[in-house]
Amino acid sequence: MTSSAAPSQSIAQVSPEMARLRARARRRLLLGRAFIYLAAILLSLWVLAPLWFIASMALTTPAEVRSYPKGVLPFIPFSFETMRFFLQSRGIIPGLINSIVVAVITLALSTLIAAPAGYAISRYRYRGRDAYRLSILAVRAFPVVILAIPLAVIFISVGIFDQVYSLALMHTALTLPTTVLVIGSVFASIPYELEEAAKVFGCTPVQAFRRVVLPLVLPGIAAAAIFTFVMSWNEVFAAVVLTVQNRTLPAQVLVSLQQSPEPYKFAGAFFLLLPSVIFIFIIRKYLFNMWGQISK
Amino acid sequence: MTTQVAASPKPRRPQRQWAPYLLILPSLIYLAIFFAWPMVRAVRLAVWNETALLTLREEASADSSPAGALPQGAQVILLDRQSNLAADGGSLRTGALTETWYRVQGNDPDGNAVDGWASESRIRVRRTDEQGAPTGGTVRPRIGASADPLTSIFAEPNERSQVVGRLAASAGVQIPEQAILEVWFLIQGEDGAETVAGWAPSGNLQIYSSGEIGRIDQGDTGQFTMAYIQRMVNDRFFKPAMITTFLLMVLIIPVQFVLAIIMALIIQSQIRFNTWFLAVFAIPLAASDLAVGIVWYSIFTQGGYLNSILQTLGLIQFPQPYLTADTRYWIIIAIWLAEVWRATAIVMVIVVSGLQAISQEVLEAGEVFGAGLWDRLRHIILPLLKPSLQVALILRTILALQVFAVVIALSGGDVVTVLANETYRQYYTLRNMNVAAAYSVLILLISMVSAIIYLRMVRSNEEAAA
Repeated sequence: MTSSAAPSQSIAQVSPEMARLRARARRRLLLGRAFIYLAAILLSLWVLAPLWFIASMALTTPAEVRSYPKGVLPFIPFSFETMRFFLQSRGIIPGLINSIVVAVITLALSTLIAAPAGYAISRYRYRGRDAYRLSILAVRAFPVVILAIPLAVIFISVGIFDQVYSLALMHTALTLPTTVLVIGSVFASIPYELEEAAKVFGCTPVQAFRRVVLPLVLPGIAAAAIFTFVMSWNEVFAAVVLTVQNRTLPAQVLVSLQQSPEPYKFAGAFFLLLPSVIFIFIIRKYLFNMWGQISK
Repeated sequence: MTTQVAASPKPRRPQRQWAPYLLILPSLIYLAIFFAWPMVRAVRLAVWNETALLTLREEASADSSPAGALPQGAQVILLDRQSNLAADGGSLRTGALTETWYRVQGNDPDGNAVDGWASESRIRVRRTDEQGAPTGGTVRPRIGASADPLTSIFAEPNERSQVVGRLAASAGVQIPEQAILEVWFLIQGEDGAETVAGWAPSGNLQIYSSGEIGRIDQGDTGQFTMAYIQRMVNDRFFKPAMITTFLLMVLIIPVQFVLAIIMALIIQSQIRFNTWFLAVFAIPLAASDLAVGIVWYSIFTQGGYLNSILQTLGLIQFPQPYLTADTRYWIIIAIWLAEVWRATAIVMVIVVSGLQAISQEVLEAGEVFGAGLWDRLRHIILPLLKPSLQVALILRTILALQVFAVVIALSGGDVVTVLANETYRQYYTLRNMNVAAAYSVLILLISMVSAIIYLRMVRSNEEAAA
């Protein structure tokens, strides 16, 4: 009895102090929370303000773009005039078409080659698996775009220089390691037991894959494919080295940048940013699966 | 929060199988063709002069035995010339001297039919078909009293072949076919102290206007050379590019890491709108670097947002110039901000994944024992994050070598320049593939050193985990 009474007595004794401590802790917690919100809002402003600026420059009249000092309020007056000016400039629409074609070929090729490899690194144990994974990681870390220079020489000698599909071949080399690792992590997140269970219930391995695994991994693979698309859409060094007549959109904007007026530049930047920002919002759920795995 | 760190793949099938090899084969083949091969080619372009030596021949034919070799650029004396059927008609070197020979059919002064070859200098073409190919003509008259009035017709398109007949001036001829011959020269030049003579095709030579001397323009045999690397190092943009690249690396990476860790801690603290903040922080992950460069250009240009805001606040009277050659440090600051803005997201994502791998109990333990944020950060969070931070550091270091479009957008590409930029300038503006390749090999080497460190770390981390 004494042993149980002693602690209760001691609790009663420290109770006021404890309450004070609790209050202090709560105050600190609230202060901490407020501080975190403040930091989060400031950092969001840091990310969003430049986007806000470029959007308000792209969605107004060219006269407004040239005015000074510029208002920080956006879209005054709201107009598609600047965007129209940009889209009607020489080489922009063909560049847009080329960009989409290159990105779609890259996406298809990259996913087709990477999907089996991703399945292999997540589902099998075999001699050389670690070596393969490490070399994929090494290639991913390499500045692959720099290889556009020797590839230009190779493409000229083979006779496929300045072609949309040959640029897509280069972009596939660029995106392939990332796609392999991402798809590998997508497969790894599906328990193998599901596949086994399907086999126990009488599915052939192919059926088990098609009926059980495929529906589960398709969203992840789609996210990886979208990311591949964005990488190809954004890539400019290889595009500007490997094309002359068939420029992609960023390559066209880059080579005409120095001779272009500001409305063209700002509208171009906005137009380049738009799809990638939308895509990132679509695939944001998968971002960490992708990059968490890649960074290992 | 629906995010989670993907479980590491669990190997399930211990028995040897062919399936995984078949599955990874396409990607291996692809990377061999589009990664390994170009890399070898880059090194070759940078240190191998494909046209360093020209082989001289005993006779005016590519098939004859070699008589010696002369280096590219050697001065030579032209001793003789001869025309030869090119080995395969279509592949003449650009700049090669050629002669056209016609196969002619006509009658000699005695009325005998003659069928043989004559040089274009002896036949005037009078008729051509729709494609412009000659079909008929006349023999040119020779001028001068001592000249032979008859023109020799040869059995083959070669002045040294047998004469099959002789035609009178102005005789009409049919031209059923023509042949394009490559001119070869018998040249003599000095290789060191040794005098070498032999035949060489005109396409490899540059003939001076006198027609008696020339130089070796392009060799046919490769040789190791340091000339391209020397030209790269001696280029006046090389040093500034190196310095700016490394300066930017040193400026960008620490700030990025501090920002990324703060962002990751915010996400980890499970505040409301958590996922929204996360999505906002991740936006730059997908942003095009060219577009980001232009975005920051819109802020720093003379009539841009920075000046507008300062003027509205009354801090300046006139718009200040920032992105000019006189205010180079502002360009560096603009590139720095743009890169921090753009690439912090990648580090943030890696750090968040790293934080999620740390068990929540460990983090809470620190809080329970009353450690302040700084103490927890310094003694608990950062040491546990070390592997992720190392990986992010190496990735960022290598990515920093690729900074390119941002620099072009903010500086026009020459006021402030970086290594990737110089690669592009050598390739695109100066059309010098070899020096461009030397730059790319340099970038590859720097990254390779980083990648080796990266792989070492990955391995030691995996060993530590095991």
